[in-house]
Amino acid sequence: MKRLPLAGIRVTDFTWIGAGSYATKILADFGADVIKIESSRRIDSLRMSAPFKDRIKGVNRSGYFADRNATKRSLTLDMKHPRALELARKLIAQSDIVANNFTPGVMERFGLGYDAVRTIRPDVIYVSMSMQGSTGPEHNYLGYGASMAALTGLMHLTGLPGREPAGTGTNFPDHVPNPCHAAFAIMAALRHRRRTGEGQLIDIAQTEPTIALLGPTFLDLTVNHRVQQPTGNEHPWAAPHGVYPCKGDDRWIAICVMSGAQWMALGDVLGNPEWTRDAGLRASSVRHTRRQELDASLAAETARWVAEDLMHALQARRVPAGVVQTAADVVERDPQLAHRSHWVTLEHAEMGRTIYNAPPLRFSRTPGELTRPAPLLGEHTDDICRDLLGLSAEETRKLKEEGVLV
Amino acid sequence: MTTSEPGAAPRTLDGLRVLEIASPLTAYCGKMFADLGADVVLIEPPGGCRLRRERPFIEDRPGIEASLAFAYHNTSKRGITLNLTAEEGRALFRKLAGAADLVVEAEKPGVMAQRGLDYGVLARANRRLVMASISAFGQTGPYSQFEAEDLVGVAMGGLLYLGGYPDAAPIRAYGGQALLGASMYGAVGAMLALTEAELTGEGQQVDVSMQECMVMAMENAVQFFDLEGTVRKRYAGIQRFAGTGVFECRDGYIYMMAGGIGANKFWSFSLQWLLDEKVPGAERLTAERWNDIDYLLTDEAKRIFSEVFAPWAKTRTKAELYHEGQRRHIPLAPINTPADIMGSEQLVHREYFVRVSHPQRGEPLLMPGAPYKLAGTPWRITRPAPRLGEHNAEVFGAAGVASRELEQLAGAGVV
Repeated sequence: MKRLPLAGIRVTDFTWIGAGSYATKILADFGADVIKIESSRRIDSLRMSAPFKDRIKGVNRSGYFADRNATKRSLTLDMKHPRALELARKLIAQSDIVANNFTPGVMERFGLGYDAVRTIRPDVIYVSMSMQGSTGPEHNYLGYGASMAALTGLMHLTGLPGREPAGTGTNFPDHVPNPCHAAFAIMAALRHRRRTGEGQLIDIAQTEPTIALLGPTFLDLTVNHRVQQPTGNEHPWAAPHGVYPCKGDDRWIAICVMSGAQWMALGDVLGNPEWTRDAGLRASSVRHTRRQELDASLAAETARWVAEDLMHALQARRVPAGVVQTAADVVERDPQLAHRSHWVTLEHAEMGRTIYNAPPLRFSRTPGELTRPAPLLGEHTDDICRDLLGLSAEETRKLKEEGVLV
Repeated sequence: MTTSEPGAAPRTLDGLRVLEIASPLTAYCGKMFADLGADVVLIEPPGGCRLRRERPFIEDRPGIEASLAFAYHNTSKRGITLNLTAEEGRALFRKLAGAADLVVEAEKPGVMAQRGLDYGVLARANRRLVMASISAFGQTGPYSQFEAEDLVGVAMGGLLYLGGYPDAAPIRAYGGQALLGASMYGAVGAMLALTEAELTGEGQQVDVSMQECMVMAMENAVQFFDLEGTVRKRYAGIQRFAGTGVFECRDGYIYMMAGGIGANKFWSFSLQWLLDEKVPGAERLTAERWNDIDYLLTDEAKRIFSEVFAPWAKTRTKAELYHEGQRRHIPLAPINTPADIMGSEQLVHREYFVRVSHPQRGEPLLMPGAPYKLAGTPWRITRPAPRLGEHNAEVFGAAGVASRELEQLAGAGVV
């Protein structure tokens, strides 16, 4: 196998649950040795989150946890034990990156705040990813991805006007905005360190990347004094633009008509029904004004189609259209994701063969490959104690008995 | 030029040279590089890129220099115009790419090759070059030539199906999240390849698919299908567990997580709060079964929680519930509007919003600032988004194009 971009980089990883774990996973998948510090005394709550293999709960059975932690190694270390700190310090001395997503203060209580860590490893890149950053009146507030979607405006703006906010139905900031921003900042800081020898502190408030993604919405407010409101699937000027029902149970298609040519093509595909023949509708402004009427007419047409058939018919005429795919669709039926080998099956000691997401990046010369499933809780404790902490098997055994390596 | 902070600190991506062929799929990626100090040159067709035509506009008046979407996504970049459909334009692009570290592009797969600008050609002249190719579905494969907008990206990527109300069509994530997701992963992929290129002296192409980036946002839906055979659906308006969901209050909505995720560790705090407030019916929540996740998943538990909590929540404001809930260590958040966010004391304290000058406007624009605080090499906007062709003379001049030649190229519609 070719050398991966982050080979030789080690991460002492205190992150848990959502965004933090997905950020360090990017580093792991591309070659970094990411050592997840966990403890049975303070279980990563994602290990206890559904779904579980065969619906049987267990710390090594959560699919949610597994997908976010594949490729990492797991060291169990109870940071509340008085002897834990010296072991953590030994590991950090051999690490390039120390990452956490605790509320501010937790790492300091462990004796591992930035200033302390810098004395162990002067060029460390120290990443903190609390919900709202390490400073400010709300810095110690707590929450999860959905809380962040609420705080950032994403939840308020996603939904139908006049109804309660819908949001994405997921902890969205955990899955893309925060991991990508964190991984990018870490690699930028690594570059700076390669060039200057200097490490640094990176403070990421998990609300701030998502707000940054909504820049134009905030500019509309600060410049034009307009407070944006939810508009469902509507587009500011294009129509029809929405999600329409198809044949079958809860089947839908997304269609975006962005030009006069696409409007004509849509009419052709549908067999030019009466309501599409109005010449005035060739103008996008007219279609947008009459969008509700067009949406209703279009929905009546699409309901006669199988979603996949309509997508192919529209795409053949260069109209942007896509099936609203379910989990079953993306796993079992989508030929494009299959072509990209997106789903990777890995064998796990307790879960058996299950599927994992490959990162959504294909490299022409150093293709990464997922090879290691999620670690069992403490799976690599012995290896790490022997290889990095310089402990004999006997010493490791005693530290487990004493409740340190648990 | 505008700077929102003193200019003395070193830049994280100092010396990195990036060419970005303007597209809604590349814009945020280029911004991530530029605001950390890379020299990002935005390449637009002579008539201007698509984002210049996107709303909102300053005072709602469309104009090639008036788009606030463009102004936001192109901070810290320099800008040139170049017609890549003309051979002279392609030759100039090859010249610029010969001295670049990174090209970011989102042309339809195959278009760069038709122009003689595919990675193989560019890399022959510049072995270190990295090219991030962002597209809707990927460079190859059965859907690689499909047309896609943001809505198609979230649909095909499986995120759309998870959002919205059970009694209506699925609703997409606001704000172009598929385009942005592809752009962010593009930045990550480009940094990975640049890291490797700086170590080995050899670049490569990174192929990023918007669809696949959205699959990453499906949370645990794929694992529910794989491990349990169940297909997750949308559930807006329904509590995920009893006590976890959207609740109306006096001036809007909150997102309450009475128990937290999975382990239900905060339930006792939430219960104590309702008891302390003497919320009518709070005693209905005290039985031992309320500590059992399986019970919290039942319709009965959700109904009882709502009967107790919802009427009381309506008597309190977002801010009251947020601060008191958090004081009690409960993960409760207000569902903020953009106006609430502008008023956030937390963000004011963090100096989150920054002012950036704009050529069309006397007053600077107030916009979101640093998405991360790097203490040693801070994020910083170094200049406003470029005017159309603003840096033609500077960039082409540095590439050895004489000013007379540039005039001729402009006359021929190449720049």
